[in-house]
Amino acid sequence: MSGAASRRVGWMAFGLLLLLSAVMLSLAVGSRAIAPSVVWEALVHGGMSDDAQVVRSLRVPRTVIGVLVGLALAVAGTVLQGITRNPIAEPGILGISQGASLGVVCAIAFAGVHSLTGYVWYAFVGAGLAAVCIYAVASGGRGGASPVKLALAGAAMNAFLASLISAVLTTNARALDEFRFWDVGSISGRDASIAGQVWPFLLAGLLLVLAMARGLDALALGDDIARGLGRNVALLRATGALGATVLTGAAVAAAGPIAFTGLAVPHIARALVGPQHRWLLPMAALLGPVMLLLADVLGRVVVRPSEVPVAVMTALAGVPFLVALVRRKKVAAA
Amino acid sequence: MTYLPPAGPSGRSPVRPAGHTVVRAGHRGSFLLHRRALAVAVVLAVLLAAAVVASLCVGESYVAPGEVVRVLLGLPSPDELVVGTLRLPRLVTGVLVGAAFGVSGALIQTVARNPLASPDVIGVTHGAGAATVAAMTFGLTSYAVLPYVSVVGGLLAALLVYVLAWRGGLAASRFVLVGIGISVALGSLARLFVTKGDYLVAQQAKTWLTGSLNGRGYDQAAPLATVLVLLVPFLLWAARAQRGAAFDEDTATALGIGLGRVRLGLSVLGVVLASVATGAAGPVDFVALLAPQIARRLTRTPHIPLMCSALMGALIVVVADLLARRLLAPLELPVGVFTALVGAPYLMWLIVSARSSRTGGTA
Amino acid sequence: MTGNRLTAQGLTLAYEDRVVVEDLDVEIPDGEVTVIVGPNACGKSTLLRALGRLLKPRRGAVLLDGTDLSRIPTRRIAQVVGLLPQTPVAPEGITVADLVSRGRQPHQKWWQQWSETDETSVTEAMERTSTADLAERQVDELSGGQRQRVWIAMALAQDTDLLLLDEPTTYLDIAHQVEVLDLVRQLNRERGRTVVAVLHDLNQAARYADHLIAMRAGRIVAQGPPADIVTAELVGKVFGLASVVVPDPVTGDPLVVPGPPRQAGPPRGA
Repeated sequence: MSGAASRRVGWMAFGLLLLLSAVMLSLAVGSRAIAPSVVWEALVHGGMSDDAQVVRSLRVPRTVIGVLVGLALAVAGTVLQGITRNPIAEPGILGISQGASLGVVCAIAFAGVHSLTGYVWYAFVGAGLAAVCIYAVASGGRGGASPVKLALAGAAMNAFLASLISAVLTTNARALDEFRFWDVGSISGRDASIAGQVWPFLLAGLLLVLAMARGLDALALGDDIARGLGRNVALLRATGALGATVLTGAAVAAAGPIAFTGLAVPHIARALVGPQHRWLLPMAALLGPVMLLLADVLGRVVVRPSEVPVAVMTALAGVPFLVALVRRKKVAAA
Repeated sequence: MTYLPPAGPSGRSPVRPAGHTVVRAGHRGSFLLHRRALAVAVVLAVLLAAAVVASLCVGESYVAPGEVVRVLLGLPSPDELVVGTLRLPRLVTGVLVGAAFGVSGALIQTVARNPLASPDVIGVTHGAGAATVAAMTFGLTSYAVLPYVSVVGGLLAALLVYVLAWRGGLAASRFVLVGIGISVALGSLARLFVTKGDYLVAQQAKTWLTGSLNGRGYDQAAPLATVLVLLVPFLLWAARAQRGAAFDEDTATALGIGLGRVRLGLSVLGVVLASVATGAAGPVDFVALLAPQIARRLTRTPHIPLMCSALMGALIVVVADLLARRLLAPLELPVGVFTALVGAPYLMWLIVSARSSRTGGTA
Repeated sequence: MTGNRLTAQGLTLAYEDRVVVEDLDVEIPDGEVTVIVGPNACGKSTLLRALGRLLKPRRGAVLLDGTDLSRIPTRRIAQVVGLLPQTPVAPEGITVADLVSRGRQPHQKWWQQWSETDETSVTEAMERTSTADLAERQVDELSGGQRQRVWIAMALAQDTDLLLLDEPTTYLDIAHQVEVLDLVRQLNRERGRTVVAVLHDLNQAARYADHLIAMRAGRIVAQGPPADIVTAELVGKVFGLASVVVPDPVTGDPLVVPGPPRQAGPPRGA
């Protein structure tokens, strides 16, 4: 095994370790701190103590959803960055999450859906439609989209959807009270059944991504070279886009709009294991849940006894990241 | 400098900047007037006047245009209460807000050298939004104080973007990307504050975040008008300086333009205008994007015409507000809904249709 | 020191943390065409950018009439030094006449937006560069060669005693290259303009320069009239290329002919 490969394996092992620690933290930390041994006890042997109840009924679903959402957003971000060859592609910035919000608003205002399990489907459809629009815009024009163009298209998308949401909410005041709590991305208070509904989509999205993952490396060299290497560029893009949309839709449906996870994680993973997607994708899949769970845990403790939703934490953590990214010469000059 | 006669005999007529008329004053003074820009400004002013009168006519009760004009001219009229007291203050605010957004957008687009940039995407409006919603949740709901809060928020956010994007110079693309990132983060903060307040505050905050002229009057218009008047000398400077800002750094330096200073000046002006306008009416999305672009397409000048942008912005806001008031009457939509519904697709169309070598890539 | 207008002393130039030119002294002879040549990344464009105040020296100074450039307002410099950057960007949708007119900017004031002098300079600059026919066209629509001539016209309209050109012949086919270089020489001969140009092609440099500056790795290897300094030895030293220098059959200037091609191996499968 070469030095580079063993280093990558080392980072993977480290990522796995981080993930396990993050899961443990997420189960143990909160308004009621629970010792790791008690957590372990509750998971393995059950038990009816208060602590065991809290762990099983509140923290386990929350952690499971956190892992699923983090994984989905990170992989989606990696694929989006790969197929658009654009370092700032990310579901939140591109307005895909906002599409899901619109879906939820419509569910509340017009379809009379009032449960989280009911929202999911509408969020899913909204995210899908927004994604289709943004891809059409991003790939339009000669030479595809520059980072600035893509970011602006995303901003336009966000504003457009926000104004639709606002129009609905102004005419339907009761929907606002319900919607505003979903609108801040959070993984707390989500029912365990959400995880049950979301995982098939997650699996489908991951399979789609796996099907085209090998092509991402060729795509990184430019369309012409990818074609020269015998790849069907259009098919690759379509498959990747579909996979990323399914993943994003599922994640946003489960947790609400969460920005910047899909942006930051792929870049961190790339810094650790390099640009080859067979290493990059698994690494991102490990680090995504880590980032989300850590942000969530942090959100539980910073303003005790109340909580800061995870989306606010990831946004606050993600902005410095984006700024650092943009300040590097390559992105700004692109 | 010495001037030698032209190298060879030639029968050519002298070259002038296209479409301009030279006005000579005295033996040294000379001014360039863009004929088409002048004509467009006149037409826009007439349209704006018509829209203003129409907007004053329409409402819960209809007032004949003749009476509206009488009220505007200060003549006694039975409709003075409805037109002069109820409708006019809101309309004046709308005109001023539109003009301020129009000029602000023109300046920001010039600085970013990108037709797709606007105060909406560089953090100004989101900063103002987050600050205002925060103030609302902490119990500050008076429309007399909120404008100042949002001005401060907008300026701070813009300053933050500016500082973060600065790296031995201000590259336009970095500016836009950092601005969008900050905007997303501020948007999520604003949403957080919306959940913290009670239901009524949430409703008010949501409406404000969309941009609305409902309940706005001279209280909001007065600070805005003051700022606009105070800025006139600076705007005259900007109108000339912005021509140089369209060049790349090297060419501008070659022409003796201190591009850094010009950009700083123009962007500060743009940010101040956008913050003040946001303070008065909330972030009325996309006016700052649309007005300059439409104005420029009409005048066909290589730079963005400030005067026409201001008139165009005012026209857009007045018309959008008229629609927002009457389309679902008696229910009233925030004016920002209309401007965004029209503006966002237009922006996307700009992105799709732009020649890629020109848009974004050159920044 | 002679009384040349544009000089540099102890110049150290760097991008971020990469030093490109270190402790360099140079003088641009007045009224002559100076050409800077050298291999890629030798610092020739960097030097020109510093002479034109596009790049701030890390140490040392560029002096114009004895004054440090950084102490002169940029507008004042623009009235004396014209400059054509390597890849200038025109404002979107601008017409040729408008762009060339912008060259007058350093001479204009808000109450003097279009003087008679402005008009003469612009008209003349466009005639000299044969761009008068393009006046109403948009710069975006022009071919590379036309566009380059328009940019040169703008620099000419600026009416400066010194003119700095950064690779003015890139993107041009050989006929247009010759046309541009002829124009440059003509300006120098008829108007006494001092010209500094960075060129890629050593033979063009030798043909058009009065004063040649050969650089390698941020240092000046040789300078002087091309006939005196262009030798096979210099080409070897500067470019690392074996060559023969013969007199140009047309002008008699030195002409560099690269040595014989490296012996290729036998074809595969032979």
